[in-house]
Amino acid sequence: MITSQAEDVIPDSWYNIVPDLPEQLAPPRDNTEDFSSIELLNRIIPKEVLRQEFTFKKFQKIPEEVAEAYRQIGRPTPLVRARNLEKFLGYKGKIFFKYEGATVTGSHKINTAIPQAYYAAQEGVNGIVTETGAGQWGTATALASSLYGMPSKVFMVGISYRQKPLRKKIMGIYGAQVFASPSSETKFGREMLGKDPDHPGSLGIAISEAVEYALENDYRYLLGSVMNSVLTHQSIIGLETKKQLEVLGEYPDALIGCVGGGSNFGGFTYPFIPDSREIDMIASTASEVPKFGKGEFKYDLLDTAGILPSMKMYSLGADFVPPPIYAGGLRYHAAAPSLSLLMQKGKIKHDEADEPAVKDALRVFSKTQGIVAAPESGHAIASAIKYAKESSNSGKTIVLNVSGHGLLDLSIFKDD
Amino acid sequence: MGSLISPFSRMIKMRKNLILYFTLGFPDQGTLESFSRRISQDEVDYVEFGFPSGNPVYDGPKIRGTHKTAMSNYRPEDGEKLFRDLLGKGIKLYSLTYYRDIRDDGGKFLSYLKREGFSGIIVPDLLVDYSDSAFSAIGRIHEAGLDFIPFFNPSTPDRIIKEISSKTGSWIYYGLQPSTGINVPFDTGEVAERINELVPGREINFGFGIRNNDQVRELVSYGASGVAIGTALIEMLSSGDEEAFYSYLKEMRGVLDGK
Repeated sequence: MITSQAEDVIPDSWYNIVPDLPEQLAPPRDNTEDFSSIELLNRIIPKEVLRQEFTFKKFQKIPEEVAEAYRQIGRPTPLVRARNLEKFLGYKGKIFFKYEGATVTGSHKINTAIPQAYYAAQEGVNGIVTETGAGQWGTATALASSLYGMPSKVFMVGISYRQKPLRKKIMGIYGAQVFASPSSETKFGREMLGKDPDHPGSLGIAISEAVEYALENDYRYLLGSVMNSVLTHQSIIGLETKKQLEVLGEYPDALIGCVGGGSNFGGFTYPFIPDSREIDMIASTASEVPKFGKGEFKYDLLDTAGILPSMKMYSLGADFVPPPIYAGGLRYHAAAPSLSLLMQKGKIKHDEADEPAVKDALRVFSKTQGIVAAPESGHAIASAIKYAKESSNSGKTIVLNVSGHGLLDLSIFKDD
Repeated sequence: MGSLISPFSRMIKMRKNLILYFTLGFPDQGTLESFSRRISQDEVDYVEFGFPSGNPVYDGPKIRGTHKTAMSNYRPEDGEKLFRDLLGKGIKLYSLTYYRDIRDDGGKFLSYLKREGFSGIIVPDLLVDYSDSAFSAIGRIHEAGLDFIPFFNPSTPDRIIKEISSKTGSWIYYGLQPSTGINVPFDTGEVAERINELVPGREINFGFGIRNNDQVRELVSYGASGVAIGTALIEMLSSGDEEAFYSYLKEMRGVLDGK
């Protein structure tokens, strides 16, 4: 059952968790003594996005043009009671899922690509550049750039570029030029290729290339995850969910989502945090990229080249090269500083799922709810199924965020 | 006596504070002494001294550079001469010190500051990197007879601002930027209004990224108690231009006085 499509579900403002965190968020740090990479952000990121990155304001007004664009790309996304999944699991409680795959680009990423591109267009820049892992962020950036009449370049992690030719095609249709990273387009990419011509790439390397390109060509770099401003934009997911649950007279006992950099998870869960009610918030990561399980809470680089400032976050190390799992969006070495802090303070729990478990969960969800979810979202589904199967959780109301569809990721089932 | 909260300490002074920051040992003792001679209570209210740190993480590149020079230049007896000179002119002294540099010294540094006549200490990394130790550190600072000057910035959660402010009656240092001397965009008025709302009636001095006179005027119009200037002095110090320094002090006093 799709419970709400009403336009009034879209909030007037995004929610920023920073002033409500249990402790002060550690500020970014420069990586070298004689140079400020924080100051450099002025030349990389749209100014309004940078302002939102460091603001103390809990609510940021959504510009009307952005709200209209949200309506055009399919917001509000549906909140669905997963009755078939409940039946399949014999679950005594309720399971809902918020379906971000219903946006035109097929994932939550468009929620922040639109405002960032809108702010960049207002500045009158030469174009937009970004990186992408699985391709969802690149797709969203490509569309958002076109909506505001700007050219876009996307550095796509090499392994995903090769695994997901359709993603590359869609970005091209939207108007983007896509490069496999590491690429010969940048100095850093050439350096990496020099070391290993078959380098599979990583998000850290792709970010480095995109940032270098932005600086060299007076483009603006759009941030796909991790940063406060991105999580603020993504709060539209949680704010809509809250409203939709309210209409149904429901409140969650558990909120479950997957974590790459943390934007869909943060956006989904943070709006519930100020309520100070008992909710199990579970961040599901890939076992192959155990950033919470084996990562350290420390200052680390956002990008492999160290152009961007360091942040305090759970990290496996910026030089971490993840195994080539299908959930490319979960391969990032670290998690958003705000999410990392909440994890460290025990406000958020984590779970891990490996690729076989994810494939099983995707199959179950497809057969019961008819949705082939993205491999990334498959982690949230796997963790939700695990949570529902625990006897102590019987009768609870579980809400999970299905961050995207997997119609372009079917190669995950190629051996079946 | 370290700070106990009194109604008097909560009163906002009419005169706006001009606070200067120097890293001890930068660029050299002779230059610091000659600049110090130009400081008087007519313009300046407080002086903050940064003791040389091997890792001044929350300072911007310019102030980080001063620490590098200072690490080899600084001798305690030189600093003490400066302290005496400024105290003799009625200038209050504060130390800007990283907690990581003093946490394991058994309170020696705090005792030293008290002995040298310092009024208080600003510890920019305490609430960020050592939040679990914050209350005990504040207690030790007060026991040493010094004011703990809370250091907040736009990333400090509302609850922390209220909680920490309630533990001390001193003035508050509000950092406008993530680190000194850099420039990320923000709305000065919104920032000033927010902190004034959270801790009404407190003396709040702004620093970490003061850019120009217009910004100072704007901060004052939103009720700032004063401003701290550090990075802007570095060029004058580097070139030894004490005339430019003196003119700057006069000009900034004029701006703060609304002239």
